[in-house]
Amino acid sequence: MQINSFSYTPSEHELEKASNSYLMSLVALIAGMPLPIINLIATFFFYVGNRKGTYFVRWHCIQALLSQLSLLFMNSFGFWWTVSIMFGTETISNKYLAYIITVFFFNIIELIATIYTAIKVRKGEHISWWFYGDITQFICKP
Amino acid sequence: MKKFILQIVILVGIFFLTLFLSRKVNWMKLFQIDKITKSTEEKLGDLIWESYSSGATEITSYKIINTVDSIINKICKANDIDTSTIKIHVIEKDEINAFALPGNHLAIYSGLIKDCENADELAGVISHEIAHIQKNHVMKKLVKEIGMGALISLTTGNGNAGKAGEIIRMLSSSSYDRKLESEADITGVDYLMKAKINPEGLAQFLFRMATTEKDMPKAIYWISTHPESEERGKDIMARIRVSKKQFFKKSSNQEWNLIKKELDKE
Repeated sequence: MQINSFSYTPSEHELEKASNSYLMSLVALIAGMPLPIINLIATFFFYVGNRKGTYFVRWHCIQALLSQLSLLFMNSFGFWWTVSIMFGTETISNKYLAYIITVFFFNIIELIATIYTAIKVRKGEHISWWFYGDITQFICKP
Repeated sequence: MKKFILQIVILVGIFFLTLFLSRKVNWMKLFQIDKITKSTEEKLGDLIWESYSSGATEITSYKIINTVDSIINKICKANDIDTSTIKIHVIEKDEINAFALPGNHLAIYSGLIKDCENADELAGVISHEIAHIQKNHVMKKLVKEIGMGALISLTTGNGNAGKAGEIIRMLSSSSYDRKLESEADITGVDYLMKAKINPEGLAQFLFRMATTEKDMPKAIYWISTHPESEERGKDIMARIRVSKKQFFKKSSNQEWNLIKKELDKE
């Protein structure tokens, strides 16, 4: 994660919208806690709503969306594994607990990073995540 | 593009490395999952037994209970199994059946004892059922058929009362899968050999059941729930031969006939 300079100085309104893209995923994460796809859908719709927004807003919407995407795979697998334990034939094993704890650990890291980024972006700093920032830079053009 | 691929590889690598390290920790022990599962099984077993015992007559004859207990004690002692954890119930019923319930309950019908030609045959069936208990086959089967969620809700009082009856019917009249049956056979034979009980009793019982099965299929529940008896009998004999411990003294038929007479009195 690094603080980069952006090609222009975003306005107060842009900072708020960009910061909200991260907060959107957090709010949805709390609302739809057991369903890993809810926060991704919420972030996606926020992006769709802002796809014609300014470059700064779009950039951060995409970074927020991409960061949710990779967690989706981990969380979905864990979610369906849990469902098959609750209602199917699977039993709780050390393998399952190790997976859930690993996924939880990654979710916590992502949560902290998201809150940190939302605060920093709101203050006018352009935060670019390792890997996600690079892909966003590749996809999102001014 | 090369940079992205490298970053993806690093990211996936970090995930799997964390997962690998996480798997080194015994979370089951840390969270006492086994203890919780055991307590759920105990509650479930007591609940099912309570429901079942209300409509069944348990045999209390000292001679019969003592015979069954002595067999179980012998098997358990030789195999480091805590005898006190196995709750034995001899039920007055003509069906040839015995089955394990959750919470280490073991039900044996008087019909099965009457049908056994000697104590070794009964010991064979009992050791097979103890193997099901020790290998946790009962809970495995229930989780597979009903699901852990339904079992937990039953123990917390949220399940319907009919579920307990359904579980008893399932455990007493439907079979485990072939893999679990074979495992129980082999483990049962090992238990018998360690206890110095003639393991050929179980094979003989299976062979006999296989031949009489066609004549009275409805009465032989233990066989209908334990299919392919002839083949399994052969597997057991092969196991005995491999173990090279085939010289066990056969139990006395005279003593056994007295037990059967005692059962007739009941």
